[in-house]
Amino acid sequence: MKIKEIMIRNVKSIPANISVIEAFKILAEMQISGLPVIDENEKLCGMFTEKDILKTILPSYIETVGKFVYVENPKGISAKILELINLKVKDIMRKEVVTVDEDTAICEVARIMITQKIRRIPVVNKENKVIGIVARQDVLRALLKDYIK
Amino acid sequence: MKKRLLLKLIGLLLIVSVVGYLVKSSGLNFRQALSVSIFLASILGSLFFWDFRLSFAFLGTSILLLFRAIDLENLIKSASLEVILFLAGMMILIGLLKQSGFFAWLVMLILRIKKLTAKKLFISISITSALLACAVDEVTSIIFMVAAIFQICDFFETNPIPFLITSVLSTNIGSTGTVLGNPIGILIAAKSGLTFEDFILQAFPIMLVCLIAAIFLLFFWYRKPLQNLDEKIKEIGSNEIFLKLISVPPDKNLRFSFFIFGLTLFFIALHHRLEILLNLEVNTILLIAPLIFAAFVMLWKYKYAREFVEHDVEWWTLLFFLFLFGQAGTLQYTGAIDFFTKKLSFLFRNNYSLLIGAILWLSAIGSSCLDNVVLVTAFLPIIKSFESIGILIRPLWWALLFGGCLGGNITLVGSTANIVALGILEKEKKLKIKFFEWLKIGIIVSILTILIVWIILILFWKTK
Repeated sequence: MKIKEIMIRNVKSIPANISVIEAFKILAEMQISGLPVIDENEKLCGMFTEKDILKTILPSYIETVGKFVYVENPKGISAKILELINLKVKDIMRKEVVTVDEDTAICEVARIMITQKIRRIPVVNKENKVIGIVARQDVLRALLKDYIK
Repeated sequence: MKKRLLLKLIGLLLIVSVVGYLVKSSGLNFRQALSVSIFLASILGSLFFWDFRLSFAFLGTSILLLFRAIDLENLIKSASLEVILFLAGMMILIGLLKQSGFFAWLVMLILRIKKLTAKKLFISISITSALLACAVDEVTSIIFMVAAIFQICDFFETNPIPFLITSVLSTNIGSTGTVLGNPIGILIAAKSGLTFEDFILQAFPIMLVCLIAAIFLLFFWYRKPLQNLDEKIKEIGSNEIFLKLISVPPDKNLRFSFFIFGLTLFFIALHHRLEILLNLEVNTILLIAPLIFAAFVMLWKYKYAREFVEHDVEWWTLLFFLFLFGQAGTLQYTGAIDFFTKKLSFLFRNNYSLLIGAILWLSAIGSSCLDNVVLVTAFLPIIKSFESIGILIRPLWWALLFGGCLGGNITLVGSTANIVALGILEKEKKLKIKFFEWLKIGIIVSILTILIVWIILILFWKTK
């Protein structure tokens, strides 16, 4: 089975120039954790997720130092939240995006999701325009379709 | 960008070729000149192309083997595998300490100072930075110190830069105190036969004198920001909130991790005595102690063993060191180093104090822009060769250690600790320290501390 058979075709994308807060509202409304980001030519230029927002707010050294935030409401984090208001999606989005084309096999997509630790993969055409998206659940639904009817 | 890289590469090749030609014209044979050129290419490669330094090391070593400047057996002998294994073992132990929250707990002690004043904070940051660098290594130490500085400066809404610079300068000074503080410490110990005890009895006291002098100087230099912090402390109140909210109790895991690390330090500290007792070769226990305890860590935390080895050990850096040591060994193997030793000993034939000074200042100036491991690796065979012509070399090892570490304070790219701290500052606070802003204080602290070391080394060895 190929990915074009199961991908979601009407993909909502976020323009790179909108504010982070506006983009988060979209994620919250759609109850999803991430969306593809497109440039002015509607070409895929990044991926924006809730994780990117959290990473921006928390100190960059958090992974190295482990448990290190002492006070309940650290002023450093409050300052970063204030800064976040002025940031645009393009400032914090992940620019290296793993993509597949519509003829990729489902098992290959599943492999990419596991090895690269990603939840959803945009499907792009030759012009790098988003023509679909596939999430982990879509892959699982396709693989287990005979048993979950 | 590509054009700039190409220009740098052409520049590097040109310098290497010219130096190779010059040394060959001055009497070295082809293999000797080749070993000098390749080693120089690795030094310049690490200066101009930091991210690609391993490529230069791989290529250079392959060329040395291809042209028979060294054979495989001697290359492996000179690669100082014992140093690489020691560093790998220590990195695994540090990985355990990070994972168990040891550093967070340790740095928390700074934040818990009762009736905090700017002076108390300043002194405790300087001393903790230096001692932490002594016990672990400068890079691990500085990350935690910077995190603590940001916490407290955020709380009192004050500029973290003076405290950050103080912490970095103290870290580099502190890294001279023990074998563990800096990779050049273990490198020098392995090549010179100096023991942990030698470091504690000779390097550590000199480090303390330098640290005290630097604290006084920095205290004067940053008197205005310290006044401002005192005012902020009065305005916002002391750090009572910190005292209430800080809660990282030393759990069982942390206590046992600390016990393992403590035991490692214990064996490292007593390695010389144990080696005599067990009739082992010099520094055997020093080098195997981290390996033995790293082995225990991997058994205890078997689920994380791969993570410790794959993520906490910096293989990229260690591989570079391995090849660099091999290349430096080629300088000795081909006899190229004797040429430079003769020139240097002739130059300083009547003045030993000047020879100490030359090594101290040259290594300091060199490490202000080069990785100090690269620089020390170049000096090691030269100093070893001095022994064969009857020169007392112990003070020269100390000169090399102090020059290599203290020189890192001169510029903002002088040591890995500087680069790491400034990187976090830029990322977290969007603040950049200008080259000359650092240089002004960096050069004063460096000159002062290096002068202290020079005087102590001269006075101490003149009375011998």
